[in-house]
Amino acid sequence: MKDKFIELKNVKKSYIVGEKKFNALDGVNLSINQGEFVVILGPSGAGKSTLLNLLGGMDKVTSGSIKIGDNEISKYSDKELTRYRANEVGFIFQFYNIMPTLTVEENINLIKDVTNTSKDSKEVLKSVGLLSHADKFPSELSGGEQQRVSIARAIMKNPKVLLCDEPTGALDSKTGVDVLKLLREQADNDTTVIIVTHNSLIAEIADRIIRIKNGKVESNELNKHPKNIDEVKW
Amino acid sequence: MLRKKMFRDIKNNLSQFITIFLMVMIGVMAYSGIEAYMDGMTETGNKFYTENNLQDLNVMGTNFSNDDLVTIKDIKHVKDAERKLSVTALTDNDKTLLLNFIESNNISKFYVFDGEKFDSNKSGVWLDYFYALENDIKVGDTILVKYEDLNLNEEVLGLVNIPDHLYDVRDESELYPDRKEFGFAYLSINEISEDYIKNKVMKELNITDIDVFNRVMPNFNYKDYLIFNSVMVDVDNNDYRDDVKNTIEDKVKNALAIINIEDTSSYVTYQGEIDEGKTYVGVFSGLFLFIAMLSVITTMTRVVKNQRIQIGTLKALGFSNRKVLFHYIGYGFWISIVASIVGLILGYFFIGNVFINLEMEFFEIPNGHPVLNSNSYLVAILVVLVIAIITYFTGRSILKDNPAETLRNTIPSVNKKSLNITTKGIFKKLSFSSKWNIRDMFRNKMRTFMGIAGVVGCCMLIVCALGMLDSMNHFVDLQFSKLYNFDYKLNIKSDISDESLADLKNKYGDKTSMSLGIEIKNGSKRESNNIFVTDADNYVRFVDKKDNYTKVDSNDGVYVTYKLASTKGYKLGDKISWHIYGDDKYYTSEIIGFNKDPQNQNITMTREYLESLDIEYKPDSLYTNYDLSKIKEITGVENIQDIESLKEGMTGMLSMMKTMLVLIIGIAVLLGAIIIYNLGILSYTEKQYQFATLKVLGFKDDQIKKIFIKQNDWIAIVSIIIGLPLGFYLTDWLFKTAIEEHYDFGAFITIRTYVISAIGTFIVSYLVSKLLARKINKIDMVSSLKGNE
Repeated sequence: MKDKFIELKNVKKSYIVGEKKFNALDGVNLSINQGEFVVILGPSGAGKSTLLNLLGGMDKVTSGSIKIGDNEISKYSDKELTRYRANEVGFIFQFYNIMPTLTVEENINLIKDVTNTSKDSKEVLKSVGLLSHADKFPSELSGGEQQRVSIARAIMKNPKVLLCDEPTGALDSKTGVDVLKLLREQADNDTTVIIVTHNSLIAEIADRIIRIKNGKVESNELNKHPKNIDEVKW
Repeated sequence: MLRKKMFRDIKNNLSQFITIFLMVMIGVMAYSGIEAYMDGMTETGNKFYTENNLQDLNVMGTNFSNDDLVTIKDIKHVKDAERKLSVTALTDNDKTLLLNFIESNNISKFYVFDGEKFDSNKSGVWLDYFYALENDIKVGDTILVKYEDLNLNEEVLGLVNIPDHLYDVRDESELYPDRKEFGFAYLSINEISEDYIKNKVMKELNITDIDVFNRVMPNFNYKDYLIFNSVMVDVDNNDYRDDVKNTIEDKVKNALAIINIEDTSSYVTYQGEIDEGKTYVGVFSGLFLFIAMLSVITTMTRVVKNQRIQIGTLKALGFSNRKVLFHYIGYGFWISIVASIVGLILGYFFIGNVFINLEMEFFEIPNGHPVLNSNSYLVAILVVLVIAIITYFTGRSILKDNPAETLRNTIPSVNKKSLNITTKGIFKKLSFSSKWNIRDMFRNKMRTFMGIAGVVGCCMLIVCALGMLDSMNHFVDLQFSKLYNFDYKLNIKSDISDESLADLKNKYGDKTSMSLGIEIKNGSKRESNNIFVTDADNYVRFVDKKDNYTKVDSNDGVYVTYKLASTKGYKLGDKISWHIYGDDKYYTSEIIGFNKDPQNQNITMTREYLESLDIEYKPDSLYTNYDLSKIKEITGVENIQDIESLKEGMTGMLSMMKTMLVLIIGIAVLLGAIIIYNLGILSYTEKQYQFATLKVLGFKDDQIKKIFIKQNDWIAIVSIIIGLPLGFYLTDWLFKTAIEEHYDFGAFITIRTYVISAIGTFIVSYLVSKLLARKINKIDMVSSLKGNE
């Protein structure tokens, strides 16, 4: 485990809405260690998703710096950001965002088109429990299964960071637990997992809990006694 | 407030609505434009014929006396009749003029562009307006014309158009009027001098001394000896025209042939152009409109379907179904109404005017103008209605669900069965992008079909437009290189003496032919046609259906052209009953063979067969390969035509065709491009979130662009494969049905045309896709992912 694997210094992100400037992030400073299971909490409009987008190289900072490992991604060009997204980071979306016209296995193998460091698709499918669904189309799967496809796709590239935007937001509680277990496993295997959520219960299983409000970090604390997922009353 | 929403929605989907606008506009423009052009031709022609009193009958003969004229005028239902002497003359600078000497001008009245009205007491000439333009002759100029011994030095009194001279060619082998070399001129019969007539009569009587002549003919009045070789007859009621014809035949011995005006080349050619154009109206404009409408309907359906959540919201807010429906109908309604109006206006002023003006370079007719008729308005209204109805049904299908249902995003359903094939066999080995595209096309069959239909239409029209030029070139080659195997054709005067003819043959060879105007008895009907009697050996050749040489050498009967045989139902061994104009004796001939003639659907026989029927062979054409380039006049010869100038005459016609075809290709390409763009936008909008996901996953913009362009490339390739043969069939069909009856040529399309059409279609599709793909650079991953399919 590496200390300060992710480090943000005075990160600001502002948008122009109409004629007004709106600061989505207003001087965020925080650091996250490698392999941590991090939960970012905050009300709507606090800046959680903006933070996730910046970490995922989908958006650029207005000012400040973001370092992931030894790389300062906030200085990356568009081309470098594309390479970063292709090789370093896995994204999991609330609504899965899987390709409806590709089968489960094809959705995962998609990653082979962007990176050379991908894992074996069968292994990955097995790890998320979808091996028997390999040839199915997404519309034949339940929401939880679809989210597992999304996770499989994300871990297929062996990412250093897994970014999850409300990964259980569209799932029932039991399915949500299964998904969280899978994500926890990734963190246990030294992948940094960052989850953005409204759901404060998820924080109980996290290694680190970051609270955001009005574009600022309200708190960033280590959870000394993270609960086992099954212990949490959902 | 809803109106505001509508305007903003339109603004937000501007490119889609602009393409809808353009497609409706181009569709209506193409349809109404070609209609306006055709109706304009019809109306312009009819107006000119009526206002300038085109004759109903042309009575042809060797000479009509004043008594003949009075007889004709006295026939019941004859409104008026005028005599005319038409002769072919040469000007001092070797141009050919068809001189017409008349006594009055109440039938086929002049339309005077410049100068004065006809007056039989005035000395001067009324000249063909186009000929004058081409030769830079103005009113007040003087022209010199020579006909036999008659030398005319005439002041130009007027530049005119005349209703029976819309189309004039020197010889039937010319298709395109060469106005620089050939024109018509009208003069008063008084311009033929007494001396000229006197000399002519003296020659005929073999008198050389004027005193002797005066003694022989003390009461000589030269006017009695003026020759008129035709009479124009105006009938008061066309129902009685056949009766008038029969009475003239009975009462006027000089009447060798009586021809309905509808059978004259000027009338036939102009009418043929209209009939031909009417088929184009159906094909080209119908195709344009059809493709455009299919595409607009797809777009409108998609636009409304994409508003599903908003429809649900409006319903949840308490808006009635009716209000919501009208709101969405408004989208297509207002746009299509404006587009239809613009289309009608552009159709009239742009397409209609351009096409009419092109025709007016070909036909001598004043005040050619397009006419927008009720059909065009009806089509425009229909377009608006269809769009509104389609929007209504799409909206209604969404409104059927309850608001909660509507508000839920529909999960992109993938019908596994329909995609099953793509998960097996060779499909399994395909790249991700290929699989993704194949399945996307399967899932969006309608959109794919529309894309293919649009590009097929575009490709077909390009093949057809270029193919028509190819076919025309092939026709020129067949006519002037394969069938005509001579360098010069001498048109022999009808009154040539035997000695002069013998002299001609001696000098230039004895390859000759003769044309006979005949009437064929077909049941109770009598149809005019002509017989080509060949004694030209291989100077005039014949071909079979496949353009291979065939012999016309049997002396046992007649040969008919394939097209004539098929239109009249003639079979080998059938008997045809016919008589020569001016002679009542009927002959019966057996059909012993067929030949193909691209220009004339007639009957051919050998000289030997003609003579076996006891008909005298009097050649009217002599074919030779002697170099006559420096010879301008030959005794006993009306005119000399060289094969190259005949060929050149065709290039004029081809260049007119080219302008029209360029316009058609232009619209086809434009329409094709807009359809591809429109469907591309639809496809892009629907896949935007998937592209954004790919971008998040680390796909480079270029990789995503390739995926996007791949589908359009496939559609283009499939469409080209379908479009090329369909283009051939369309061309062939057009030639077979639209072209005037006396032509016989099908589509002949070169490989070059196919290659150009294929590459051209592909390039248009590729460039439009490239243009669309630029949007991928601008995909905002963050906002795209907020709302998905």
